[in-house]
Amino acid sequence: MKAGLIATGVLLAATSAAAAVTSPPAPSADEISSLGAQNTILQKQLDLAKGKEFYLLLDPQSQTLKLMFRAALLQEYRVAGLEVGVPQVLYRSRSDSSDWEGRVWEGGTLDPGRELDRVEVQAPPPTAEGTEIEVTVPQTPEEKYPVPSRYHIRFTGGLSIEIRPPADAETSKGFWAKISDGFASWWADARAASRSAPTDTVRLHVVLSRKDAESLYRALPPNTKLLVVPPRS
Amino acid sequence: MIDNPYSFAGQDEPKPRRERRMSVVVRAPRRRSWIGLLTVIVVVAAAGVIAARGTGYAYAPAPRRASLPAVEVPSQAGAARKLQAKLAAQNKQLAAALDKLAPSGVYVVVDQTQNRLYIMNDDRIVRTSVCSAGSGMVLKASGSSKKWVFDTPRGVFKVRNKISNPIWKKPDWAFVEEGKTIPTNPADRFESGTLGKYALYLEDGYMIHGTLYTRLLGRSVTHGCIRLGPDDLQAVWDAAPIGTPVYIF
Repeated sequence: MKAGLIATGVLLAATSAAAAVTSPPAPSADEISSLGAQNTILQKQLDLAKGKEFYLLLDPQSQTLKLMFRAALLQEYRVAGLEVGVPQVLYRSRSDSSDWEGRVWEGGTLDPGRELDRVEVQAPPPTAEGTEIEVTVPQTPEEKYPVPSRYHIRFTGGLSIEIRPPADAETSKGFWAKISDGFASWWADARAASRSAPTDTVRLHVVLSRKDAESLYRALPPNTKLLVVPPRS
Repeated sequence: MIDNPYSFAGQDEPKPRRERRMSVVVRAPRRRSWIGLLTVIVVVAAAGVIAARGTGYAYAPAPRRASLPAVEVPSQAGAARKLQAKLAAQNKQLAAALDKLAPSGVYVVVDQTQNRLYIMNDDRIVRTSVCSAGSGMVLKASGSSKKWVFDTPRGVFKVRNKISNPIWKKPDWAFVEEGKTIPTNPADRFESGTLGKYALYLEDGYMIHGTLYTRLLGRSVTHGCIRLGPDDLQAVWDAAPIGTPVYIF
């Protein structure tokens, strides 16, 4: 009797131990593909970090736009809003907006451009005592590079980032100025969308504070790359 | 003359001559045509507005969920776990490689267009300073084809050396710019006081140093070096040991 009880106890203990050791449930297809997607993005970030160009990382989930170089953070801007725009003519879409996330876009340039105004100076003929040279005080960056209220960073392949200030930043403008700006903006968009090959096949409308928008316009190095980090699931 | 038997008395009497009068008839406006025209205008305008709204760029909020790529997951639980473990290991490896490339601890960032220098510590801005970077000017030597471009180079550099009370060894352009003869004796090139209290040497002759012209800070006036005011120079001197990466963009 006693031996039987002991045997039952041992059996029960062994069964519960086996249950505890049982391996966890198999991962779902979503878990695996999410991990795979994360690795793909990390690999792209690593490739960008190994490159010689400056790059932007747009992360809609953390609402940040970062200017990076060799994996170092140079500037970080807070994204107040992000929308995806596609060209359309009479409500008919003219491009497919599915292929812009998780892809490296190259050759980012500002539109309108920030032209470097190079001054050429002819040195005076050399003398032993030298020549008193006239020194002109150059403009500050704010004076030198006025920032438009709306501008684009265009990448090769048809993606562009449109930087705009938030709507409440425009309150200082008068009624007619707003109407005029609205029409000019619509006209530019309508022209860009109606071309035989639309200027931008996908447009990301990024809302930055005026200060950040101005800073990005003045700071953006030429030929910047872009990676839009897809949301982590 | 036979009287007309059908005529009534007095009917054949000569009619009194009617006076001819000119009259101008002004028609009352046709309400219907106005309404029609107005309707056409309204319809055309509405069609124009509708067409205009449907032409341009149609915006929608950015997707909040990732569209995951289709991955073939093994049907056997063991194989699926193995794949997951492999991907997790790969994930760790990639993240570690990325971390290795990124600067750790203190690094310096220079925004040469806006003339700002940032002392960073692990992605946080510790101090922002107003500096002066390259003017972008092109200096042409008199009587020769030689020319110098005063740009601050973009890229990543390292603090190679740190000198207090530095003495400046003036390069050729410093004499050419002032219309002076380039000295043949190297001793004539040395000048003290010009670079301020400290100089942090980067590469190719570029430095972070002080200036006598603090009123010009914030403007692009230098020959390629980064100039700082005395307090900010002291802060960089204290924060950035030799080997500190300096990112210039």
